[in-house]
Amino acid sequence: MIQSIIKRDGRVMLYDQNKIAGAILRALENTGEGNAMDAARVANAVQSDLESRLPDQVPTIEMIQDAVERQLMNHGFNATAKSYILYRANRTRAREANTALMKTIDEITNIDARVSDMKRDNANIDGNTAMGSMLQIGSAGAKSYNELYLLRPEHAKAYREGDIHIHDFDFYSLTTTCCQIDIKKLFKGGFSTGHGFLREPNSIQSYAALAAIAIQSNQNDQHGGQSIPNFDYAMADGVAKTYRKAYIRRLWEALEDVLDREDEISSIESLVRSAESASGETVRLENSPAFDQAVSSILAEIHGLTAAQTETLLTRVRKRALRKTERDTFQAMEGFVHNLNTMHSRAGAQTPFSSINYGTDTTPEGRMVIRNVLLALDAGLGHGETCIFPIHIFKVKEGVNYNEGDPNYDLFRLSCKVSAKRLFPNYTFLDAPFNLQYYVPGRPETEVATMGCRTRVMGNVYDPTREIAYSRGNLSFTSINLPRLALESKGDEKVFYEKLQEMMELVAQQLLDRFEIQANKHIYNYPFLMGQGIWLDSDKLTMKDDLREVLKHGTLSIGFIGLAETLTALYGGHHGQSEELQKKGLEILGFMRDYCDRKSQELKMNFSLLGTPAEGLAGRFIRMDQKRYGKIKGVTDREYYTNSFHIPVWYEISVYDKIRLEAPYHALCNAGHISYVELDGDTVRNVEAFESVVRCMHDFGIGYGSINHPVDRDPVCGYVGVIGDVCPRCGRREGENIPAQRIEELKKMYPEMPAFRGIE
Amino acid sequence: MSEANRNETLGQGVGFERIRRITGYLVGTMDKWNDAKRAEERDRVKHGLSTHA
Repeated sequence: MIQSIIKRDGRVMLYDQNKIAGAILRALENTGEGNAMDAARVANAVQSDLESRLPDQVPTIEMIQDAVERQLMNHGFNATAKSYILYRANRTRAREANTALMKTIDEITNIDARVSDMKRDNANIDGNTAMGSMLQIGSAGAKSYNELYLLRPEHAKAYREGDIHIHDFDFYSLTTTCCQIDIKKLFKGGFSTGHGFLREPNSIQSYAALAAIAIQSNQNDQHGGQSIPNFDYAMADGVAKTYRKAYIRRLWEALEDVLDREDEISSIESLVRSAESASGETVRLENSPAFDQAVSSILAEIHGLTAAQTETLLTRVRKRALRKTERDTFQAMEGFVHNLNTMHSRAGAQTPFSSINYGTDTTPEGRMVIRNVLLALDAGLGHGETCIFPIHIFKVKEGVNYNEGDPNYDLFRLSCKVSAKRLFPNYTFLDAPFNLQYYVPGRPETEVATMGCRTRVMGNVYDPTREIAYSRGNLSFTSINLPRLALESKGDEKVFYEKLQEMMELVAQQLLDRFEIQANKHIYNYPFLMGQGIWLDSDKLTMKDDLREVLKHGTLSIGFIGLAETLTALYGGHHGQSEELQKKGLEILGFMRDYCDRKSQELKMNFSLLGTPAEGLAGRFIRMDQKRYGKIKGVTDREYYTNSFHIPVWYEISVYDKIRLEAPYHALCNAGHISYVELDGDTVRNVEAFESVVRCMHDFGIGYGSINHPVDRDPVCGYVGVIGDVCPRCGRREGENIPAQRIEELKKMYPEMPAFRGIE
Repeated sequence: MSEANRNETLGQGVGFERIRRITGYLVGTMDKWNDAKRAEERDRVKHGLSTHA
């Protein structure tokens, strides 16, 4: 006779047959196979089963559940037995997940990030800080819940086992990835951050300050980076306002000097307004003869100044107003860059991931913005440090800034000089055919803009009249472990394509499941993104509406990693090694792109192909694959899979060939792409060489590219450049101390050297 | 400069900052990089400017 049982945690409890009968009844009711009588019968059988099998033993919960399974089958309740087994398996997984979750939290709490790879999953979150750890704990809990409760079992399995990677999985049930914020529109009439209303800004300083606030506010509503597609066009409005104010003020002061009078300010304001209405022009940076003429005539009429007097006066006023505006703009840009590098967000754990696009505004105001933001980037932070944020993206366009004689060619040249020193800006090429097809002169929203590391959103099958960069973004993305598909196909191309097709279908379904969650949210879930009309058409929604339709302007992206290893597994080499293999690489990505295009047409939603920015993924997939397949040369024998369609980083190749071979993949990866070129430190001193690389990218049809070179800095003497083992300026090695006197001597040679206070 | 300052030294334990690009973003110190990405950075080779590698 069973008296007691042993629970999972080891406690001994009284045996209660009613509890067993209750559990069996619930299972029977679920399948509709039986009633309470049946449940009692099975429960009795379970007791006899236990007593005969384990006569002198106190049964554990697991033993009892085994007996329930056996007796359900013995009594012919097969469907119930099956669902009971599944239920047990699920509960086991949940318990294990709980244990794993507690272990993860334990690691987050107790292990230094320097020795915990998990805590360094995202290099811009400091896993050692209080808020950084809280963020990681929340993220671990959310992932655990999402996997158990929100994913279909087949998706959970594919994710768990590393067939696919669901990006930003902790935010699965919460929000979307990113958005290109049209700040020109946002600033019009002012906006609310959710914590207070901000009036329409009135000077370049406020424009720049509010741009940073917009990025900060919006990033609390989304999990990805934030970008401004029209930084130059929008900031230009602020420059114009600052110039107008400076002009009025300088005119006032100059006139007071000439007339030797005071209190002319109110009359000057009305004078400028009358001149504006008389000439039909406003005060602008650009010389506007009609406006100047109107001011001259008023001055002659009211104050009796001669033509010569007004000309001298106005020239001086314009010169001084320009100087003031230029200085204010530089300070505003400097403040903006400093702000984005120091501002904390997401509970203080990280700086907002931000990008700004510029380069094509050819108005004098826009040009002033571009020049000064580049100069601020060049100057660096307070101690001359290279700015990590925002990502600067220079939009290159023939006829605008690419060729000698183009209105912004000088700024393109300046951008090369700055990037050769500071790694930014990156370049986006509007002349690449797949970008040019959207470009309409005079409509900046049709210029492709890039977000964060590479995201690109342009085409729009949901609403083909809105193929624009502004106010849209990615909804979510999931990446495929391409090398594994190749390994599983054992060199059989046909099998590989079948597996790839199957995997793309699985990912598309998973993206749609996630969309279903996102689509059921409301404006009030995203007070800034949707509440302030940042997202396209969200200003047309009411509180009752769900987000389904407006979200369809966004993209669902299917990504991949390791084309190089995939080709090696299938054909014995990667696309850097022969034209034949390059052709094979293009076929694979062409196949994937076709799938996305077909799916887009079928559902009238924007499915797109992404060259995934794989930070955590590069190691995660390959570690799993090494366990499965061992170390296979050229495929799994390193610590990372090669990013997207890149030629492997370790492969010797010229700049020219790397760009030539990677460019065609940019056309295929419409959700985002980037190519890097690694140059040695001499590029800092050779801007011509740097520019020739950018031109090479442009001419081969690269969509988005950047040039890497080492940028090191010694905090002690402030040297920025390439540092090997020894600092070329002060001669110290890493971690070594040098006499303070030596620093004093160096200061005399390098007056701009920042003071080192012993802590950085 | 006083005698005390004359003997003072600076920089003990202070490392060099090495800014690198990782998936499009810049990162100020490689302390915070994950192991795979550190390995990838270590393996990167420079690309020559001539048309033949």
